[in-house]
Amino acid sequence: MDFDNSKPIYLQIVDFFYENILMKKWLENERIPSVRELAMMVEVNPNTAIRAFNHLQELGVIHNKRGIGYFVSEDGHQKVMAIKKGEFMEVILPDVFKKMKMLDVEFEEVKNTYDKYINETDHENK
Amino acid sequence: MEFNIKRIGNAILKDVTILKNTGITALAVASGILFIGLFFMTRGDDYLSADEFMGIFGLCFVVLGMFFSFAVLRESHNAKSNHLYFALPISPLERLTSIWLTTTLIHTLIFTLMALLVGQLAIFAGGIIFGSGFHWVSLFSDGYVKLIKGYFIIQPIFLCGAMTFSKNGIGKTLLTLLLIFIGILFYGLLLFSVLNHGYGVYPGDLIADEAFGKASTDFSGVGSWFFTLLFGPVMLLATYFKLVEKEV
Amino acid sequence: MLQLENLFYHYPKSKTVLDSVSLTFSEGNIYGLFGKNGEGKSTLMKIMAGLLFPKSGQCTTLGQHTAKRSASGLQNLFLVPEDFELPNLTIGTYEKVHSPFYPAFSKNQFYELIQEFKLHPREKITRLSFGQKKKVLIAFGIATHTKLLLLDEPTNGLDIPSKSQFRKIMASAVDQGRSIIISTHQVRDLHSLINHVVILDNCKVVFDHSLSKVSENLWFGRASDMAKEAILYTETSFGGKAVMRRSDRPETEVDLELLFNAVLNNPKGIQLALEQTYHGV
Repeated sequence: MDFDNSKPIYLQIVDFFYENILMKKWLENERIPSVRELAMMVEVNPNTAIRAFNHLQELGVIHNKRGIGYFVSEDGHQKVMAIKKGEFMEVILPDVFKKMKMLDVEFEEVKNTYDKYINETDHENK
Repeated sequence: MEFNIKRIGNAILKDVTILKNTGITALAVASGILFIGLFFMTRGDDYLSADEFMGIFGLCFVVLGMFFSFAVLRESHNAKSNHLYFALPISPLERLTSIWLTTTLIHTLIFTLMALLVGQLAIFAGGIIFGSGFHWVSLFSDGYVKLIKGYFIIQPIFLCGAMTFSKNGIGKTLLTLLLIFIGILFYGLLLFSVLNHGYGVYPGDLIADEAFGKASTDFSGVGSWFFTLLFGPVMLLATYFKLVEKEV
Repeated sequence: MLQLENLFYHYPKSKTVLDSVSLTFSEGNIYGLFGKNGEGKSTLMKIMAGLLFPKSGQCTTLGQHTAKRSASGLQNLFLVPEDFELPNLTIGTYEKVHSPFYPAFSKNQFYELIQEFKLHPREKITRLSFGQKKKVLIAFGIATHTKLLLLDEPTNGLDIPSKSQFRKIMASAVDQGRSIIISTHQVRDLHSLINHVVILDNCKVVFDHSLSKVSENLWFGRASDMAKEAILYTETSFGGKAVMRRSDRPETEVDLELLFNAVLNNPKGIQLALEQTYHGV
């Protein structure tokens, strides 16, 4: 895994979890890799991996079954959706708004582009 | 002090395994020389006696033992291999014991076995080509025991030399030995001439002869005692301290 | 686990290499030992392995002086030197004659690693490239399960895919009972593995902190104009990255290269920023 310096590695690992859960690679109530396996997978110090696991456990995305390993929680997918949506609303959108204001982009223009995009992707999916 | 027999065994196995290829080549060369020498000895009197055997056997045995002693410590001098050599979990005493056993006992065993085999082959070959009579090879005699004893006494010198000199160890060790020998010789002569000044040894009297006679008989008791009982262990002790103090 | 107390060292008839070095290494960590070339990294590693004896001060592993080179002491450590030669044996024979010296040696793990490194037990070590020999020795070192694993410039001589393989294997090698010390100047290769940094400069230890402490107190990134007073070090190039006091900024990943340069340029400032614990936490 390639890490960048923008945010701590443990949070980048957390993102890697989110991605796998959102893409349904890791399903609810399914066992996920152990700390050691994950550390090997992404080539990090196991201490860093533990931090990511603890963070996800605190958020209730995963849980630990003693002696068996870590599992995606029953409502893990939902929780990740909520977290990611929150991130989108609170971090990405304000950034977009800032740029819109700076570049004089009207909301209508954005809406048109959005509608067009939705149309196209729906078309493709059919 | 740590002294674990199993670790010593492991170290012997390690050294013998690493030296196996070099050892086989050296043994092959030695057995070739031995074979040719012994083969021609069967010619004269149709018989290969233990004494005839001993001369050429002794030479090959000691020379090979010397090379072996230097080879076993080569790893300790090479800047690229001595890190791993000295970081191996074995105490200096165990290491010295394993090296000593490898270069004395194991060397003697292997070389004797090989020599017996080559000797027997030489007798066979002599029988076929010169028509000399068949007999079992004989090696074990007073001469053999003396040779082995002698080897056990001088071999620690080679170990000490191998540990002391990092380059051209064999040459330097032999040179040092020669210098020590000459030194002792002069010291003995000097001592004798001082102590026996009254004899007037040096004007070229016959008595000089007597003096040398005395030097080799009367005082050799002390000398041989010193050389046989003390010299070997002292050399081993010196090697031990060199092993302990060696830094990479 | 490994303790260095007030260590001094100089080579015969030569200037000081290590000056009053005191360090403690504990289990469960991967230490990065950094320093410019010739600042005594290798010397320190050799002292830790008992291959050089300190001129004064002492170095002990689990209470045993490494300079004594006792068998029980050496069983606690394995050193992968920067440059080395292995005997003319096959990989399998090398393992057979060397592994009995390490009571906790795991044959399974060794051969698994050999396989992972795309090597074969029947290959002659002398026919391997230097990088491959290094892999053999790293695999052996990991399989010894010694409490202390010392690696001197382990990624030198490894190609790019092998470096990634190396990181994977090191991530699996550290466990709670083990302490790994990696000396390197190739900071980039290992930054995701290391969780504690020691920096040597001018024969002395100028930095010795865990990365969690660093990321708690320091911020890495491009400096905005507003925070000039918090800047501890900045690259001179245009738009260069900077190290700043973190205060209430969000946590960033430690940029080891930047940290290294910052420590060499402004050791006092960095030290001070780390000592003043951030009040928000």
